[in-house]
Amino acid sequence: MTPSEVLAEIGGGLAYTTVMTTLSRLHDKGALDRRPAGRAYAYGLPGDPSAVQAVAVAQRMRRLLDAGQDRAGVLTRFVADLSPEDEQLVAQLVADLRADGHRDGDDVAETRE
Amino acid sequence: MTWLMWSPFVANVILAAAGPRLARTLPPRAAVRLVPLAMLAVALGVGFVLAVLGVFVVAQFPPIAVLAHWSPAALRADQPVPALAGVAGTVILLVLLGAALLRAARGGSDLVRAAVACRRLGPDADGLVVIDDDEPEAYAVPGLAGRIVVSTGMLNALGTDERHVLLAHEAAHLAGHHHVYIQLADLGAAANPLLRGTARSVRLAVERAADEAAAAEVGDRRLVARALARAGLAKAVARRRRQPQTRVVLAGADTSIMQRTTALLAPAPRPRRGLVAGLLLLTLVSVVGTGVTAHQTDDRLDRAATGATVAAGH
Repeated sequence: MTPSEVLAEIGGGLAYTTVMTTLSRLHDKGALDRRPAGRAYAYGLPGDPSAVQAVAVAQRMRRLLDAGQDRAGVLTRFVADLSPEDEQLVAQLVADLRADGHRDGDDVAETRE
Repeated sequence: MTWLMWSPFVANVILAAAGPRLARTLPPRAAVRLVPLAMLAVALGVGFVLAVLGVFVVAQFPPIAVLAHWSPAALRADQPVPALAGVAGTVILLVLLGAALLRAARGGSDLVRAAVACRRLGPDADGLVVIDDDEPEAYAVPGLAGRIVVSTGMLNALGTDERHVLLAHEAAHLAGHHHVYIQLADLGAAANPLLRGTARSVRLAVERAADEAAAAEVGDRRLVARALARAGLAKAVARRRRQPQTRVVLAGADTSIMQRTTALLAPAPRPRRGLVAGLLLLTLVSVVGTGVTAHQTDDRLDRAATGATVAAGH
């Protein structure tokens, strides 16, 4: 649906730009898919409704994690954010580990332990 | 034997000082299980002794003493600490109890919310939910049937073998009920602020335990280190793409990736039976001290009650 179709559907005194902004924000959040249609975008649901819900729930949880508000420690994240100093060290580490992997391939475990 | 009454306090000071180090040195699996247990035993023990001090203060109020047939004079003569210390202990106890109750309520509601989120994430038989999102992210959501949420951004950042590491890591969190141990440790820290540092180190131990479980599953510690580093880097790159100017320290930033990769590149953790025994001893001392205090308090109140009956009888 294009913004003008949405506007016609929901009626009310909303401005075209309001509808357009809302739709594009929903798209930014991953709740809607869109493809070009003339000079505007046509929006649609990305896949089935349960997937939309899953994405919405996941987005909420990520915001919680990003804000550091998961103080109760319910969610366990694979990796937290890196500080800029650590980023340098970790980049070096990845390079080192990858070099190792290329040099002795799959025998890393045997040759090292 | 009155000195045993203070043993939970001694255990408290020792755990507050040695806890963070202990949680880092113990094998992660043992640390995750035993450190929260010791924290709770110490927090409960200290809370109980403070409550006993409070009982002696409250029991001396004439209306209560009359109702319970206690002699205020006998109580005063037999109380374990001066009245002023008793009042201070009572106030501290009430504050800590309030903090612990609030923390328990928040932890409970957060667990319920996580369980609801699990259900809404969809009925995946294997518990894996892949979210179509460029932002690299991966986490475990506990619930009756827990979920592992991974974004396509994270999957694309990792090689096939590294993806196995990621899934094994998150599955270890769910299988080990790690969220429960984090909750218990945080509850202990809320009831006893001296243990905050120890609670923080329990969180690191939880990540380490999942890393070690993943390493055991894929049979290669270096591979786990590489997956961690790669995932951390992918996150940092994505963050910079989104907010090019941000150089400030982020809310979620911590040094745990470096600590975890360093530990993985070192040899596997040793059993450390001595430290485990020490930690269990600390827990036991707290429990015994609490039990002895309960017994002594009962005796003291009995003596005060006899005094009252004798006085009334003659």
